[in-house]
Amino acid sequence: MFLALKELKHSKGKFMMIGLIIVFISWLVFVLSGLGTGLSDLATSTLKYSEADYAVFEDETDFSFSKSILSESVEKEILKQEGVDAVASMGTVSASIRSAASDEKNATKTDVLIAGIQPGSFMEPTVNAGENLTSNNLNGVIVDDSLKADGFSLGDVLAINGSNEEVEIIGFVHNQTLNHQPVIFTQMDKFRAVKYAAPGSDTGIENPVNGILVQGTDVDTKKVEEAVGEIEMGTKDEAVNAVPGYAAENGTITMMLWFLIIISAFIIGVFFYVLTNQKTQQFGVLKAIGGSNWFVIKTVISQVFILSAVSILVGIGLTYLTAAVLPEGMPFNLQLPMVVIYSIVLLIISVLSSLFSVMKISKIDPLIALGRVE
Amino acid sequence: MASIQLENVTKRYKDSERETIALDQVSLTVDKGEFVAIIGPSGSGKSTFLSIAGALLKPTDGEVFIKDKAISSLNEKELAHVRLEQIGFILQTANLIPYLTVLDQLLVVVKMKGAITEEMKKIATELLEDLGLGMKLKKYPNELSGGERQRVAIARSFVNNPDIILADEPTANLDTARAHEVVQLISKEVKSRNKAAIMVTHDERMLKYCDRVYRIEDGILKEE
Repeated sequence: MFLALKELKHSKGKFMMIGLIIVFISWLVFVLSGLGTGLSDLATSTLKYSEADYAVFEDETDFSFSKSILSESVEKEILKQEGVDAVASMGTVSASIRSAASDEKNATKTDVLIAGIQPGSFMEPTVNAGENLTSNNLNGVIVDDSLKADGFSLGDVLAINGSNEEVEIIGFVHNQTLNHQPVIFTQMDKFRAVKYAAPGSDTGIENPVNGILVQGTDVDTKKVEEAVGEIEMGTKDEAVNAVPGYAAENGTITMMLWFLIIISAFIIGVFFYVLTNQKTQQFGVLKAIGGSNWFVIKTVISQVFILSAVSILVGIGLTYLTAAVLPEGMPFNLQLPMVVIYSIVLLIISVLSSLFSVMKISKIDPLIALGRVE
Repeated sequence: MASIQLENVTKRYKDSERETIALDQVSLTVDKGEFVAIIGPSGSGKSTFLSIAGALLKPTDGEVFIKDKAISSLNEKELAHVRLEQIGFILQTANLIPYLTVLDQLLVVVKMKGAITEEMKKIATELLEDLGLGMKLKKYPNELSGGERQRVAIARSFVNNPDIILADEPTANLDTARAHEVVQLISKEVKSRNKAAIMVTHDERMLKYCDRVYRIEDGILKEE
């Protein structure tokens, strides 16, 4: 540490430049991680943050709410299975809404996802304004609070395009989106009235729903599939991954993140390797006057550690500043555990990258300190 | 007790075509308080001699004893330890660390051994004052003259209180006045601190400060 700190202090400019690069890279890593979580929330938050552990769909539908159609009565069968604690049916349909007071031709319409649920089931999120669904208020809906930005507020009556149904906003919920659309939670019957209005569109299934979410521990999904029949069952994660576009989106961002981390490791590794090469004479002198290999190696490793740690901290600071000034509608969700994980990974990879220099140092012959070798 | 003793030390270098003998059966003993000079033209084996005496290079044959302890069987780590504890190097053109102040140049050697105590700081400061560098403690090498840098190198070689001082052409790159001053200082410190010192040089003007003078030519060492 003695030499490491003295040199960092003495050659501030040189180290500041490389520090700045690490700052920018870590900043980008954290912003990207926030955007990644934000985007995946947009695609899946209703499912991802639900209290469900498993999900059940019609057989051969790839865990897709839009392909699957089941009878609500399947719930009872599933509830009987070993390990299952609770079930909650859900039906989803994409729709566009407008204020009922507006004229259909000129009104601005907003794309939403209507989710039919049973009031009081574990799939119903708690409102942060207004009140929750009750079975005696068939027209009441609770909606994602991003709709506030589109000018909707409590008590507004909404018309659903292509349907004669009208609903009233009675509550707002936070971070409830699915398939990149804000979710409107309705009573199951209201949902059916919108999605299965046309005769025969329910293919003859009584009380149709699109999926059944399950709470439970150590449920053997294969056994449940066999016992109930004509269903497929997966964990919540499998259902989240099956949301259209989610896996591809997430994969792209994760790949960019890891590339960035590897690039930063290379930049740091190469920078310190070049620096080590420039300092072979100095390191030779240190070894000649009695410094052990470890003494010299320690200085380089602690320099990398200090420089990376400080730069990552600055990067985190900049990220939170960025988060504070990002526009409201931006899908950005910075999660502390992710920030901590990426910081640690960045730090470990940076320190590992100094191994190039370590190998170089251990090969330096202290004889070069004598100025000439005969 | 001899501080350093070389016994029939031979060093051969082999390349693809032929074998060169850099040192041929060299024996030398230096005791406490003695200042010995070794002179010779370039290519005579001076540097090889110093490298072997300084535990930087192993001889092909023969043995080096530092305070009666043979060092040829030691590994790299143990040799570094011997250099740290027993040997003080005064290197050509000082070879100071550019980002350390004069005082820190000494403290880094202390640090290699363990923690930097207030006592060691005091010892280092006194040593530098003794060498006329009391006003320059906070200066960096690039703010010093050549002679001052060489004096820092002298102080650095003494700071861990080694038994042996080895100087590699300490007067290279210095004008005559500075060269005399530097060698006089080495001589003074060696005597007052009772060290065994060997100086390798090609500068014949410096020999008057030494107790004994050896000449090395084609790897063969002879007393003058």
